[in-house]
Amino acid sequence: MRLRYAMVCSSNQNRSMEAHFILKREGFDVSSYGTGTHVKLPGPSLREPNVYEFGTPYKQMYEELRRKDPELYKRNGILPMLKRNLGVKTAPQRWQENIADGQFDVVFTFEEKVFDMVAEDLHTRDHILLKPVLVINLEVKDNHEEASIGARQTLTLCQELEATDRWEDVIDDVISTFEQRHRRKVVYTISFY
Amino acid sequence: MVGMMQTISREKFANLIDSAKFSTDVPSKLETLRKLKEKFSGAEDPHLVMEFLPQLLDLHTDRCSPVRRYVAEIAGDVGLNYTDLLPEVVPLLITFLRDGTPAVARQAITCGISLFQRALTKMAIQGLYSSELDDSLESSWAWVLKLKDEIYSMAYKPESDGRKLVALKFIEAVTLLYTADPSASSEPPEDQTSGEMPDEFNIAWLRGGHPILNVSDLSIEASRNLGLLLDQLRYPAVKSLSNMVVIVLIKSLSAIAKKRPSFYGRILPVLLGLDPSSTAVKAGHVSGVHHALKSAFLSCLKCTHPGAVPWRDRLVGSLREMKAGGLAEEALQQLSVANSVIAQDIKPSTEISAVRKRPEVQDVNDVNKDDDARGKRARSTPNLTEEPTQDSKGDNGNTKKNVDNGPVQQLVTMFRSLVAQGEQSAAMLEILISSLSADLLAQVVMANMPNLPSIRPTQEGKEDILNSESHLSTYLAEIISRSNNSQITQSATDMHTDEPQKPEVEVEHPLAKVADMAHSVTEQEDVVPTASPFSVDIPSIKTVTSVIPLEDTDIGELEDGIPGLDSSTRDDDMPEIQVDTSLVSADMEEDTQEQITNIARSSMDIDIVPSMSTDKSEELSPKAAMADANNINSSTATSVQLTSKVVLPKMSAPVISLTDEQKDLVQKSAFIRIIEAYKLIAVAGGSQLRFSLLSFLGVEFPLELDAWRLLQTHILSDYTSHEGHELTLRVLYRLFGEAEAENDFFSSTTATSVYEMFLLKVAETLRDSFPSSDKSLSRLLSEVPYLPKSVLKLLECLCVPGNSEQNEEIHSGDRVHQGLSIVWSLILLRPPTRDVCLKIALQSAVHHLEEVRTKAIRLVANKLYPILSISLQIEDFAKEMLLSAMNDDAELTKDTEMEKPLTESQPSSVNAMITKDSSSEVGQPCTSESIQTTSITDAQRCMSLYFALCTKKHSLFRQLLIVYKNMSKAAKQAICVQIPKLVRTIGTSPQLLEIISDPPAGSEILLMQVVQTLTDGAIPSPDLIATIKKLYDTKLKDAEILIPILPFLPKHELLQIFPCFVNLPPDKFQAALTRTLQESSQGGQGPVLTPTEVLIGIHGIDPEKDGIPLKKVTDACNTCFQQRQIFTQQVLAKVLNQLVEQTPLPMLFMRTVIQTIGAFPSLVDFIMEILSRLVTKQIWKNPKLWVGFLKCAQLTKPQSFGVLLQLPPAQLEIALNKQPVLKAPLVAYASQPDLRSSLPRSVLVVLGIAQDSQSVSHAQSTQSHSQAQSQSQSQTQSQPQTQSQSQSQSQSQSQSQTQSQSQAQTVDTDTGNSDKVVADEPKESTNS
Repeated sequence: MRLRYAMVCSSNQNRSMEAHFILKREGFDVSSYGTGTHVKLPGPSLREPNVYEFGTPYKQMYEELRRKDPELYKRNGILPMLKRNLGVKTAPQRWQENIADGQFDVVFTFEEKVFDMVAEDLHTRDHILLKPVLVINLEVKDNHEEASIGARQTLTLCQELEATDRWEDVIDDVISTFEQRHRRKVVYTISFY
Repeated sequence: MVGMMQTISREKFANLIDSAKFSTDVPSKLETLRKLKEKFSGAEDPHLVMEFLPQLLDLHTDRCSPVRRYVAEIAGDVGLNYTDLLPEVVPLLITFLRDGTPAVARQAITCGISLFQRALTKMAIQGLYSSELDDSLESSWAWVLKLKDEIYSMAYKPESDGRKLVALKFIEAVTLLYTADPSASSEPPEDQTSGEMPDEFNIAWLRGGHPILNVSDLSIEASRNLGLLLDQLRYPAVKSLSNMVVIVLIKSLSAIAKKRPSFYGRILPVLLGLDPSSTAVKAGHVSGVHHALKSAFLSCLKCTHPGAVPWRDRLVGSLREMKAGGLAEEALQQLSVANSVIAQDIKPSTEISAVRKRPEVQDVNDVNKDDDARGKRARSTPNLTEEPTQDSKGDNGNTKKNVDNGPVQQLVTMFRSLVAQGEQSAAMLEILISSLSADLLAQVVMANMPNLPSIRPTQEGKEDILNSESHLSTYLAEIISRSNNSQITQSATDMHTDEPQKPEVEVEHPLAKVADMAHSVTEQEDVVPTASPFSVDIPSIKTVTSVIPLEDTDIGELEDGIPGLDSSTRDDDMPEIQVDTSLVSADMEEDTQEQITNIARSSMDIDIVPSMSTDKSEELSPKAAMADANNINSSTATSVQLTSKVVLPKMSAPVISLTDEQKDLVQKSAFIRIIEAYKLIAVAGGSQLRFSLLSFLGVEFPLELDAWRLLQTHILSDYTSHEGHELTLRVLYRLFGEAEAENDFFSSTTATSVYEMFLLKVAETLRDSFPSSDKSLSRLLSEVPYLPKSVLKLLECLCVPGNSEQNEEIHSGDRVHQGLSIVWSLILLRPPTRDVCLKIALQSAVHHLEEVRTKAIRLVANKLYPILSISLQIEDFAKEMLLSAMNDDAELTKDTEMEKPLTESQPSSVNAMITKDSSSEVGQPCTSESIQTTSITDAQRCMSLYFALCTKKHSLFRQLLIVYKNMSKAAKQAICVQIPKLVRTIGTSPQLLEIISDPPAGSEILLMQVVQTLTDGAIPSPDLIATIKKLYDTKLKDAEILIPILPFLPKHELLQIFPCFVNLPPDKFQAALTRTLQESSQGGQGPVLTPTEVLIGIHGIDPEKDGIPLKKVTDACNTCFQQRQIFTQQVLAKVLNQLVEQTPLPMLFMRTVIQTIGAFPSLVDFIMEILSRLVTKQIWKNPKLWVGFLKCAQLTKPQSFGVLLQLPPAQLEIALNKQPVLKAPLVAYASQPDLRSSLPRSVLVVLGIAQDSQSVSHAQSTQSHSQAQSQSQSQTQSQPQTQSQSQSQSQSQSQSQTQSQSQAQTVDTDTGNSDKVVADEPKESTNS
C-alpha cells in the first residue's frame, strides 16, 4: 500500500527538507511544508534574520545570501542547506495553504508547536472525505546534525508504515516499537480529511 | 442523434464493465473502473445508469479488495446522484460493511455518510413543502436507516480497527444532522422541492412539522448517540479501546460540542474527567490522547457561544494542568477581544436573556435553558418560531427528569441538609459530589433550577431589566447569607424595602419546608410542559414565589452552595461569588452587624469605581447583565446613591487592548520596577523570587526592550550590594536553559548570544572596575553554566597581554596575576575548560615579558604541573618550546651569519623589529651582536618553563643535555646563564646523579658546568664525587670533569690522577691547579696538596709512562713558576731539596733549577748547594741533567766555580770543553793563591795551571798551592794568543746566550707567553 507523506517543520528549510530529501531519494511519495508565517533564516545578527515569503525559490535565497556574505552563510551551513533544498524542490511551501495538494496519509512534524498547528489546521478543515490521516510528531532540534538524524529515523518509521497493510490497525505497536528502539518520544494523532 | 449517442455510450458502458469484469490484473481493472466512475457521474441519462448499475454491482464479489473498494466508491457516487437507486446501492454497501478488507468497509461507511445526509436532506425538504412523499424516497430512506443501524452496530463492536474509526465519524455526522445548528439559519430554504439539494442542512427547518421525520424523535436519537459515544470514554469501557479510537472519540466529541454548544454540559464533564494515563491501553501512548484532549479543550475554549462560557474556568484549569496554560490564556485573550465585539452586537438580546433567566441558568445546557426560560417567559410574548424546538427539547429534558425524579430529588434534599450545616460539612459535600457522576450531578442542579425565583412579584410592572435585577438583589442576599451569619441575611433581606414579606423568617429552620416547597415547585414545573406547553401556569409559580420569597432565596442559596463548595460542578459564577462573599465577610468582621451590609457595599463601591471607569460593562456579555443587576439590586436594597457602584470586582476584570508600544512600555516599566525594588525585597527576603522573576522576564520580553541591558546596568552599578553574582548566575542559567531546551534555530541562538554578551559584559566590568585582588570575577567564571569563547578570550588577554594593548600593560602585573589565578581555579573546578585554560597558562608561561612569564611559570610549575592529568601536556608543551628555541635560534644565527636582509623575513616579529631598529642605528656590524642578545632572551623565553619543570621533575634534565649539543650559540648562552640557578635548585638529587653518570654525547660542556655549579661553594656529597669519578673512569676520559671536585679528593687519589691535568690545555691546567691549591672549605684544613707537593708531583710525571708529552709537563712547570706568590722561593727550595734526594733525579730537575735561579736569583747560594750535591751524585752520569747542570753552572758563574772545581778533573774537562766560556774565569778563579793551593793538581792540570799530572801527590803538599797558582798564571800567560780566539768566540757565544736569556726573561715577566722560548732553552742545551 502506497502512502502519501508530508514532512512539516516551521520554515520548510532544514528538518522537513532533510526528511523530504531522504524520503524522496528512497522513492517515497513525499511533500514538505512549513507552518510558520514566513520563512526565516539566520542572518548576520539576531535582530536581522533573513525573512522570505513562502514560495520564494530556494535558488533565489541561495543567490541572495551568497551575494550578501558568502563566508558567513557557508560557515553556518545555510548555503549548503539551500543548495540541497533547491535540488529537492523549487520553493518552500506553507502547510496551511496546501489544500490543493490533495490528501496525505501520513504527516510527519518535527516540533510540537508545528504538530499542534497541523492538527489544528486539519481539525478546522471540512471533513468531507473522512479519509483518516496520521499525524506523527518526532521532536527534532533545529540544527543540521539533529535534522539529519531525525530524517533517518523518519525514514525507518515510514518504511515500517509502508510495510504494514493498514496502519490504522497497527499504529500503536509500530510507534511503541519505534519508541523503544530509538529511545525517543513520538506523539501521534489521527485526523480526517 | 440522441439515440445514437445513447447507443454509443451504452456500448462504452458495456465494454468498460466487461473489461472490468474480465481483465486479470488489478491495475488495468482499476483503470477501467476509474473510467467507469467518470462515466457514471457524467452520464446524462439516468436510465443508462439504472441499466448498468446491477452489472457494476456484480463486481462486488471481485477478489481484489481495491476493486471492491472502488466499486463501493462508484456505488456511493451513484447513490448520491440518483437517490432513487438507493434501494439497490445501500444493500451493496451493507454487504461491503462486512467485507473482510477494512479498506472496503471504510469506503462503504464513508459513502454511507454522504448518502445518509443526502437522503435526509431530500426527505426533509420534500416533506417540508408537501405532505405527500414519494414511495421511492421513503423506501430509500428506509434503506438508509438500515445502513445507519448497521454502521451503528459496528461502531460499538469491541474490536477496533480502521472501520470503527470511520463508523464513529458516521455517528458524529448523524448526531450533528439530527440536532439543530444554532449558528445556521433555522428557516428552511425557500421552495426547493424540485431544485437541487442545499449543501447545508439544519434539522431546525423541520420544527414546523414533517410527515415522517419527527424532530423530537431524532433529537432523542441524537442524544442517545451522544450518550453512547460518551459511554465509550467512560471508565471502564475506555480501557478496552485503542488509543486511536480514543483520539477519534475525543475529536468527534469536541467537534460536536463545538458545533452544538448545547451539549457542552454533557460532553465536557466526560472529557474533563478523562485521565489520559488511566485510559491508555499501553503505557507510553498517553501523549497522543493527551494531545487530543488538549486540542479539544482549546477548541472548546475558543467557542464564543454563550453556552460555552461557564466551562471556561474549568477548561483553563485543565489546560494548565496539562501545562498548556499559556495557550489557554492566549485563547481566552482572543476570546475576550472577540467577545467585546460580539457583546456589543448582541447586547439587546443578552439583556433580554438576562431578564429571562438567572445567570446560573446558563450553566446548564440548552435544553434546560429553554425549559427554564419557557417557565419564566410565560408572560412575554412567545417566540413562535422557537416554540417547537423548545417543546421538543422540553419534552426530552422532562422525560429524563421524570425518569430520574426519585433519586435526584433525594440527592437534592441531601445537599440541602449538608449545606445547612455550614462549613463543617464542606468536606462531606465534596465527597458526595465527587462520588456522583457528572451527568447525575447536572441533573441535580437542573432539578433545582426551576425552583429559582425568576421574577419578583412586586416588580412585575417595571422594566424587564429591573425585574431581573431586583431578583438579583435576593441573590446577593443569599451570597451574604452564606457567610455563616443568618442575622446578616436577615438584615440584608430587611433592607429590601419593597419586600412585602415577613422579615423574621429564619434561614435555618425552614429547610425542610424549603425542600418540600422546592419539591412541589419542581413537580409543578414538571407538569407544566407536558400538560400544555403554551399555557404555563404562571399564577401558581407566582404565588409560590410571592408567598415565600425567602424560601426561594434559600433554594437559590442551596444551589449556589453546592457548586460553591466544590469546583467540579459547573457554575462559572461560583469563583466570583466566593470572592465576593469573602470580601463581604471580611468587611463584616469590622463592623457592627446592623450596618454591615451597607458598609460592605459602600466599601465595595470604592474598590470598584476605577474598574468601572475603565471598563465597559457591555464587554462582559452575560455577566454584564448580572453586574447591572447587582447595581440596581443594591439600590433597591439600600439607597439610591449606591446605585451604579456595586460591581463584583472580578467580574469586571477589564480587558484593555494595548498597542504594541504601550505593551512595551508597560512591560519595561514593570521590569524596571522589579529591578529597582531590590532594597525592599532584600529586606522582605524575597530576593530569590526576584532573581527568578527577572531572569524569566528577560527571556520572555522581546529583545527590543533591552531588558538585559537594564538588568546589566543594575548589576554592574553595584555588583556587591546588588547581589550581582547571584543575579548574574540566575540570569545565565536561565539563558543557558533556554538555549539548550529550545529547539528552534532562533530562540536558541538568541539565548546563546545574549548569554555571551551578558557574561562578557559583566566579566569585563568586573575586570575593569574591581581591584585585581578581588575574587568576584574568578567566582563568577567558576560558577557560570559554561564559558563561551569570548570570555576565554578575555581571560587570555588578561594572562597574555598582547602587544596591541600597550595601555593595559601598565597594570598588567597584577592583572596577570589575577588572570592566572582565575585560570588556575578554572582548571581545578571546570574540567571541561581545562584544555583551553591550560593553553592560556602555557602561553603566558612563554610570554615575552619576563614579569608575566615568571608569574605564569610559577603557576604552571608549582600548581598545575603536580596535577597528574595535565602534567604530561605541560611537559610536552615545555619540551616543544625548548626544541623550538633550539630551532629558532638555529635559524636565527644562520640568518644573522648570512646577509642582513634575511633577518627581516624572520618569523618572530619582535626580534625582527629590534633587529631593524638596531641596525638602522648602529649599522651592520653590530646587528649580529644585538640579535645575539635578543635571541638569547628569546631562547630564555622559550626555555624557562622547561627549566622550571626540571626543578620539579629532575629526570627532565636529561632532555636538556640531549638537546644541548644541537643548540645555537645563543641558546647555549641562555642555558649557561640559567643553568647555575637551576642546578642549585635541583641539588644533587639521585636523578641528577644518574643523569651525570650517564650523560648523553655532546653534552660535556654543559655537564662540566653542572658539576661546577654543584661543587661551587658547597662541599659535594660523596655520592656526587663518586659519580663524577665513576664517570671519569668509565665514560668521560676528560679530566676536566674532575677539576671541580679536586679539592675534595683524597691526596693519594689526587696525586694518582694528577698527571692527567698536566695533559690539559694550559688554561684548564691552570684551573685545576687553582682548584687543587685552593683552601678547602672543610674547616681550615688547608689545601689537599701543598704547592710543594704539586710541583713535586709534576716532576714525578714520566712522559713515556704516563703518556704525556714532555712539553705538557714543562708547560705545567712554567705555569707553576708564573705563580710566584704561591710558588715562593721557600716552596721552590723545599721542592728542590726534596727532588735532589730522589733517585733517579726527575728529568726536569735541572730545568727547574735553572728556572728557579731565573725566578729567584737570591736562591743562588742554595742552588750552589744543590749543585754540589749533584756533583756528589755524579750528575755527569745522566747526560741530560749533566747538560742542564753545566748550563746552570754557566748561568750561575762565578758562584758556580766552586762547585765546578768540585768536579773530578775528567768531568771538569768535559765541562770546560762544553762550556769554554767558563774556562778563563774559572782558571782565573782557581788561580787565586789560597784556592789554588787547595785544589788538587789534576784539576789544576785540567785548568792548565799545573803542567803535569805526575806530581798529583805533590799538589797536595804545602807548596803545591803556590805552584798551582803560578802554573795557572803562567798558563794564562802562555796561552793568551792561542786561546784568545776561542775565548772571544765563546765569549761572544755566551754573550749572545745571556742576551737571549735576559730577553726571554723580560718577556716572561711581561706576558707569560714566552713559555716556548723558555721551554726551548733546555732542549737546546740538551741537544748541544
